[in-house]
Amino acid sequence: MVRKPFSGQKISRRGLLAGGLTTVSALAAAPLFSPRAWAQAGRDQRILVSVELSGGNDGLNTVVPHGDDAYYRHRPTIGIRPDAVRKLDGHFGLNPGMLGFERLWNSDDLAIIHGCGYERPSYSHFTSMAYWHTAAPNRGDEFGWLGRLADALDDASGADVLINIASAQSLAVKSRLHTPVVFDNPDRFQRRAFASQQPLMQRVDEAGGNPSRAFLNDVARSALTASARIRDAWANYRTPVDYGLNGLDLPKVAACIEAGLPARIYHVSYRNNAFDTHVQQVNLHQRILAYTADAINGFIRDLERIGQADRVLVLVYSEFGRRVPENANLGTDHGSANTMFLAGKPVIPGHYGTPPSLTSLVDGDNLQHTVDFRQVYATAVDRWMQPGASESVLKGRFEPIEALS
Amino acid sequence: MRSHLFNFSIAAMIVMLPLAANGDFEPVNPIEWNQAKARHLLERAGFGARPDEIAEFAAMTPREAVRRLVYFEGAPEADLPEFDHSGVFEEGLDPFPPSRPATTELARRQGYALGVEVKPGGDRPLQPVVNKFFYWLRASRLETDRVAYWWADRMLRSPRPLEEKMALFWHGHFATNENKVRDYRKMLGQLHLFQQKGLGDFRELLVGVAQDPAMLNFLDAGVNTKDSPNENFAREIMELFTMGVGHYGESDVREAARAFTGWNYEGLEFQVVTDDHDFGVKRVLGREGDFDGVEVIDIILEQDATADFIARKIYNYFVSAELDDDSARELGAWLKNSNYDIAAYMERLFLSRDFYRPEVIGSRIKGPVEYVVSTYRLLDLDSIPGTPDFNRVTGSLGQRLMRPPTVAGWSEGRAWITPSLLFERGNFVLDVVFPDIGFLPPDRHPGYGGEEILSVHERLRRGMDISSATLPSMVAEEAPDMNELSASNMLADSDEAFNTRYGSYRGWQMAIERVKPISRNLPRLDLAGMVAEAGLASPDEVVEYLTSRFFSVPPEPATMLAMADYLEAELGTADIASAASFMEESLRGLLHVLLSRPEYQLN
Repeated sequence: MVRKPFSGQKISRRGLLAGGLTTVSALAAAPLFSPRAWAQAGRDQRILVSVELSGGNDGLNTVVPHGDDAYYRHRPTIGIRPDAVRKLDGHFGLNPGMLGFERLWNSDDLAIIHGCGYERPSYSHFTSMAYWHTAAPNRGDEFGWLGRLADALDDASGADVLINIASAQSLAVKSRLHTPVVFDNPDRFQRRAFASQQPLMQRVDEAGGNPSRAFLNDVARSALTASARIRDAWANYRTPVDYGLNGLDLPKVAACIEAGLPARIYHVSYRNNAFDTHVQQVNLHQRILAYTADAINGFIRDLERIGQADRVLVLVYSEFGRRVPENANLGTDHGSANTMFLAGKPVIPGHYGTPPSLTSLVDGDNLQHTVDFRQVYATAVDRWMQPGASESVLKGRFEPIEALS
Repeated sequence: MRSHLFNFSIAAMIVMLPLAANGDFEPVNPIEWNQAKARHLLERAGFGARPDEIAEFAAMTPREAVRRLVYFEGAPEADLPEFDHSGVFEEGLDPFPPSRPATTELARRQGYALGVEVKPGGDRPLQPVVNKFFYWLRASRLETDRVAYWWADRMLRSPRPLEEKMALFWHGHFATNENKVRDYRKMLGQLHLFQQKGLGDFRELLVGVAQDPAMLNFLDAGVNTKDSPNENFAREIMELFTMGVGHYGESDVREAARAFTGWNYEGLEFQVVTDDHDFGVKRVLGREGDFDGVEVIDIILEQDATADFIARKIYNYFVSAELDDDSARELGAWLKNSNYDIAAYMERLFLSRDFYRPEVIGSRIKGPVEYVVSTYRLLDLDSIPGTPDFNRVTGSLGQRLMRPPTVAGWSEGRAWITPSLLFERGNFVLDVVFPDIGFLPPDRHPGYGGEEILSVHERLRRGMDISSATLPSMVAEEAPDMNELSASNMLADSDEAFNTRYGSYRGWQMAIERVKPISRNLPRLDLAGMVAEAGLASPDEVVEYLTSRFFSVPPEPATMLAMADYLEAELGTADIASAASFMEESLRGLLHVLLSRPEYQLN
């Protein structure tokens, strides 16, 4: 939320409080948005949905180079045999769990970008994830790249531009101008209180001095305005589409889009380092990839159902790939370059980037990246969300790839 | 009387004026010691400061007060029960295979697993093994929830609150999750380590953690062998537990991993498997030698970066999220010179003028566990209520004990608050003041995310065969178009030898039969008694009293006046004495709105 709409009408309730001690009752102040205006804005504008696979997804067992003997030499045990992969062509195939992505591929809704990474990669989950969140490798930034993108959008003031479905806010959506709407369970995104308590529950003080208190007040205001709309969106949402066993919160995103919420940027995550497959990875990895692919395919199909698929681009990433050779525990250790995906009606389907060589490995058995991941971000910014803004959002010039026209 | 209220908040604002310099670690002057400082100390070192405790600590010298908390000098003897095991563990369950497929493969290969033999014939010969697998998953999880209850009860009742708060800090620092460890006994053992060593020598704690079965399991140390070093543990010990990123290289991680090879556990005991240990020469952090794990830990402890990192992390948790680099180095040097004596470090922090700076007081966002426990303490409860469920509440607020989200633990401070979580905190208070009559005990009833188990249960009892009864609801109840069905729902997830959904169902039944139930007592409040005892005459005085009892940072006066108006309207009178017989409900409504305020999150 932009703070501006709230700074207007200050209420001084009693004479003895006139000495500058004021309180704003947020909902008593002028309406924060005109429902018609946001519904209109919400129906036209393009949307970016960022999907994070936390823990470091094993890209080589996701998009499998079954035509490359070196792959099987590096992975004699956990390598996925050619007859098991879902073949895309003579060289690449998808993990057997990824029926959902096979369907996206067959419906021309999937772009695969090979070899994404950055110079001097970090092998720490938390450090590398922070680099991906801020789009500032080996440097970091106070704000996330999605937050900076929100700040750069035209026509995004006064509305809940950023929605992060999570139990804790991601650095990726941290913004200078906007307070992201962060929630996990929409059914519980509600202040439970009796009628006589409601006016008091909506009081948020204008208190200065204590930064933590100011932060809490900002969040309280954001909660007041966003919660009812999101709860209603979720309550009114019914879908016949099968998202699989773990929807990755994408049904909630679909509900918000269907309800015409003005959010332009959504961020969801396959949480809790799920992809950190050091040990016995084959069954586990196939299962979580199945959930991921099911969810994303379900999401695109659901958007088609509600007539919104042309407005939405999905970007899928992880903080790093994994080491090329398998380890002795039928798993893989932290690596570097990885595969990214763009999915949805807007994409030009196909393979992008140069697949890294599996025979000239670098830095201890790792892939040499061939695409800077910020090129994919730049594609989403310049070719989709806000043409011309990528250089300022990403703090550098990155050549978009051709997966969007 | 209104001006009375007004003065209270003006006083609070005056305290906010800057008085002492940042980074001044000299002891606070005893002359400046007062109730506000005693309250601040108790809030930060424990779980909420009750009026009687504030008075007691304010009457001591600052040194006495701090040493009471840090060294328990003069603290009453603790009379706290040990954890009461349900008796769910059986020989044969340990070592527990890493997955259900690994379990059934093992059973196929050797004819038994988890202490259960494969059936010689008949339907689903592996089913009893699979049932046992799910039994232990569920039983360990439910028993872990009882461990969390036991711990929360200690936080509430212990005369040594810092012992528990420090354990909570270390639980976030050395984070392991029962979901992966899958053995409540290991989680309990680790908790004991944090409770016993958390205020001691950091080296002992670190070595203890490195040799702790829960941690060895969590970071895959058991598969770290000389032929195939696994870097997970070596990386996290440097990055998260000691030095932080930027103070070591990738080769240090690989070499240190070799030193930890062969570190393993059997049951609940640490052991070194010498056949797996790499006795060769390693180069770690500029040193060279045939190091073992403890020697690598000692090299890590020699690094200034380690002392700075630990000093800073403790400071950030207990004092302030802000710490300049010079101060961090000063604190780090001090910690290192004291041979990593955590108690001495805590004493120094809690005595320092820096800790009592006005910008520090009331600037910290309470973590969920602290928020819930301190709310109960300030309500004068003498045990953690069973309703609402402590673990579900703290989990929905983002901090479920024994289940930190990743090895990095919980992000503190502002990360605790989102729009949704702010609501959840207030909704918790509602369930405390007015019981949720729809409550289902999650240690008996699979009603929270276990709906599939319930539907299997219903279908079986309607006479369906196991294969039909265990189809996913979506498949069982509709005729799906297979072209639209997701891969995960298409997986029958069973074969002729066993059925996992049935195993999950039976495992639930077997577990709740064995795991002792959590007592579901409700919070029994007496706010009317509290108000009467304090001799409060008017709604204004009630609001002022409750605010001063519960809040480190009071709401604005206008808001407090509105609260008083609310109470008066609810009571139909401004005369509290005349409302004594019926005011309990209105006081609870008032407390709900009051504790739902943003300011209540601060201490």
